[in-house]
Amino acid sequence: MKRSLAVLFCIFALFSSLFAGGSKEAASGDVTLTVLWFNDANESDVFMDTMQDYLEANPNVKIDLQVIAFGDYEQKLKMMISGGNPPDVARLTTSHVPILASSLEPIDPYLEDPAATKAEFMPSMLAFALDKEGQMLAYPTEATANGMIVNLTAWENAGIDVRELSKTWTWDEWEEAVKQVIAANEGMKYGLAVDYTIHRFATLLYEFGGSFMNEDQTAFDMVKEENINAINYFKHLHDEGLVPESVWLGSENPTELFQAGLVACHIGGSWNINTYNTNVKDFEWTVVSTPKGEINSSVPGGKFIGAFKDGKHKEAAMDLMAWFSDKAHNEKYCLDTFNLSSRADAEIAYPTNSEEFAVFQHDLSVTPAFTAVEWGNAKVTQLSTFMVEQIVQVLLGNQTAEEACQAIQARAES
Amino acid sequence: MKKLTKGDEHIRVKTKGNFHQTLAPMLFLLPNMIIFLLFIIIPLFQGLRMAFMDWGIFSVPEFIGLKNFGNLFKDDVFLITIKNTIVYSFFTVVLLTVVSLCLALMLSRNSMKGERVFRAIFYIPSLLSMIAVGIAWRFILGDEMGIINYVVRRLGGDGIPWLTNGNLAMMCVIVVSVWASSGYYMIMFISGLQAIPSDLYEAARIDGSSAWNTFWRITLPLLKSTVLVVLVLATIASFKAYELIVTMTKGGPGYATKFIVQQVYQVAFQEDRMGYASAMSIILMIIIGIFTLVQFRIAGKDGQYD
Amino acid sequence: MIKGKKFTNNVFLVILIILAVVSLFPVVWVALSSFKPQNELFSSPMTFFPKTWTLSNYASAISQGNFARYFLNTVFVACTSTVITVLINIMAGYALAKYYFRGRNVIFGLMIATLMVPLQVIMIPIFLQLKNLGMLNSLWGIIIPPAATPTGIFLARQYMVNLSNSMIESARIDGAKELRIFVRIILPLSQPIVATITIFSFMWRWNDYLWPLIVITDNDKMTMQQALANFVGQLQINWSNLLAMTTISIIPVLIVFFSFQKFFMSGITAGSVKG
Repeated sequence: MKRSLAVLFCIFALFSSLFAGGSKEAASGDVTLTVLWFNDANESDVFMDTMQDYLEANPNVKIDLQVIAFGDYEQKLKMMISGGNPPDVARLTTSHVPILASSLEPIDPYLEDPAATKAEFMPSMLAFALDKEGQMLAYPTEATANGMIVNLTAWENAGIDVRELSKTWTWDEWEEAVKQVIAANEGMKYGLAVDYTIHRFATLLYEFGGSFMNEDQTAFDMVKEENINAINYFKHLHDEGLVPESVWLGSENPTELFQAGLVACHIGGSWNINTYNTNVKDFEWTVVSTPKGEINSSVPGGKFIGAFKDGKHKEAAMDLMAWFSDKAHNEKYCLDTFNLSSRADAEIAYPTNSEEFAVFQHDLSVTPAFTAVEWGNAKVTQLSTFMVEQIVQVLLGNQTAEEACQAIQARAES
Repeated sequence: MKKLTKGDEHIRVKTKGNFHQTLAPMLFLLPNMIIFLLFIIIPLFQGLRMAFMDWGIFSVPEFIGLKNFGNLFKDDVFLITIKNTIVYSFFTVVLLTVVSLCLALMLSRNSMKGERVFRAIFYIPSLLSMIAVGIAWRFILGDEMGIINYVVRRLGGDGIPWLTNGNLAMMCVIVVSVWASSGYYMIMFISGLQAIPSDLYEAARIDGSSAWNTFWRITLPLLKSTVLVVLVLATIASFKAYELIVTMTKGGPGYATKFIVQQVYQVAFQEDRMGYASAMSIILMIIIGIFTLVQFRIAGKDGQYD
Repeated sequence: MIKGKKFTNNVFLVILIILAVVSLFPVVWVALSSFKPQNELFSSPMTFFPKTWTLSNYASAISQGNFARYFLNTVFVACTSTVITVLINIMAGYALAKYYFRGRNVIFGLMIATLMVPLQVIMIPIFLQLKNLGMLNSLWGIIIPPAATPTGIFLARQYMVNLSNSMIESARIDGAKELRIFVRIILPLSQPIVATITIFSFMWRWNDYLWPLIVITDNDKMTMQQALANFVGQLQINWSNLLAMTTISIIPVLIVFFSFQKFFMSGITAGSVKG
């Protein structure tokens, strides 16, 4: 016993000498920029890689990259901001920008020609990043689009040319076709899996002509026929057994179901290309346009980088962000992380899957502009879990779609 | 035991007013008390003040009195999560105590080879972080991808909706919680069992007492303080259950396995109603406090909890 | 008698083996899956054993960020914190078990009550407090605050209540100082509970996620659990790295368990225990 405790104590003593010393003061003129980051895959490595030439050109600048798990990223960031200790630069999602709007340093005053800079980005991505006065709060980096990924091999087994069919298909036609696919493939059990998030459900919502907000984006407006139709259709798909209950009711991961070849289609997004590219070896897959409802629509999303009002090195932070967001660096970053770019002028030659990226890009281009404005509203993010729960109550048969919409509306107004 | 209580009285009288006898324990307690005060109690009061305010994280708190508490009792989801938490805690605590006590009894007899290995095996599940536990069990219980349903289907049955049916999901969450921490409480019981002098067992054997009788007459009464520890700790832990459930079921299907802490977390950080979330936490702490107090009272009735 | 014992042993053995299989299955599954190549993880039909064994998950998990640093940080934090925890918790448990002073039950109740606080809820005030004390971004910030564990105090107290008072008393009559009684009489008798708290404390700190989340942002000071959580992204989860890292992270805690578990059984001498 004594010996074991002694061993523990020795380790402790050894380390304390190792760790003593504390932080070294930086020499004057040197700037260490803290960059808060989260990872889906290898983005932090690619970021550092992309910034290599910046660091060479600015020898007095160092980057202290701090990677936090996404699940706790928002809390951590809020904690740091409310403690008056924000990082200099942070990676942000579409929902972070509106939530943190009051703490983000507007970029416009640091730009020579703000209008020209803004014009470099895709309008939908820029829409996320603007505050009420139209100032840019963050630079858009990579873009994402929601869309439909299909098990190509399974569709071929059913004798259906899904690439051709998807050019014009409606949800009714999709339903008819997907039933044939299920019948033609042993082991395939379902037609469609939709990620368990309100953001992915919004794909259906928009397709059915719905929206969360009213037309001029001033208030929540959930109770309308289009929204009710979308929810009812989603319930219909569950009742028909075309969508596995285990995703929305049992938190099984649709990506895994798709990889296992259990579902014919998956409403996911452009980020899935990366996953499926490495993980799917048993069948061919591709991306097609989502069936048409009232309209064709994707849901835009993406990532941003921004700096904070209370940041200690705002000038340097702005400089770094501008560098990272220019055409060359953005293209390199998006290529290496296997993402769509937020820049309007980006031309990226992906080593594989260029066809799939093109479909997502096309879906994004036909998506109505108001969708980005909606997702730039803090309320939509704040209620995201509540909305999902209300839809689940409909799927469980505990309430009607109309009641769900009313509950969401009531919560939004409270 | 009676006799010894008298002995305690004796010390109590003798040490009353003795400066050293009061100062010494205070010094022994000091390091813990400082840490608790600085890092838990002071932040707690700063946080809970917010229960009486309307407060979002970047907004200025506005005093609204008891309004948050009033709203709580009209909040259906909050009431459901309270009910769920109590149901979950009840079954988890009872099962945990029984299972871990049985394991400890079987594994502290020093009469079987491999007791140490078994102890380690049962302890291993509590070494995994809750995230890993949640992941592992989703792979086992998943409706479509789960191992159990895979076997069931191979045998010609239909898949069982483990996590898709509300009642089954609750059951699974309870069973997994018991699986995950019975080794932990087993260790507490084993160390408690060590404090029972072996000559008592010796005497019982000479009296010809059966194993069953020995357990009820000697083991359990002398293990009472450990039973209390396990009950209290397991109750508190189960009321605060969060990570495991979120990774396994995300609180679903619907609200079937949504517990208070998950709701608090969602309201505080996603919906940005920090004040309301603080009010919820106060209610949660009051509920835990009541249950703990009841446990101490019941144990203390026969004057044996200390 | 001997025969009866043998029979009981065999029955127990069968029960224990069944329970052990149930208990280990998910863990073994995690460990085996960590040797599967990524595309095999979700292939259908699934297999228990990897079809092709690979170490690439380990290689890539270890190459993410500064693995060696995270590992050493966690070892340092867990060891240091455990030494502190054992010492101060045993002291507090002793004070609460064997001294009779005014407010004893209040202090004990208050300490148990701190266990009831859902820390997630008061993260922001804790953060501000640590900032005021200058403990942010320092390993001491994740060593000292969680070192005082109500569970440890509770365990120590309940254990020591069972120790005999007469030994303490006769030592006092002999003129022994309080600290000497604690070190010379109480500590040696407390081996099983010291071992228990050591095992628990090491595990708590090793698996701790909340305190590092509040305190640490600097990459050089991150712990294993933080690195582990980083594999779960917003849109994607890196399962293979996650499984590999989980498997690695169990090992040190197991080693500590094995080196301390023999002390559970250290004999308590007759007479040192009341009853």
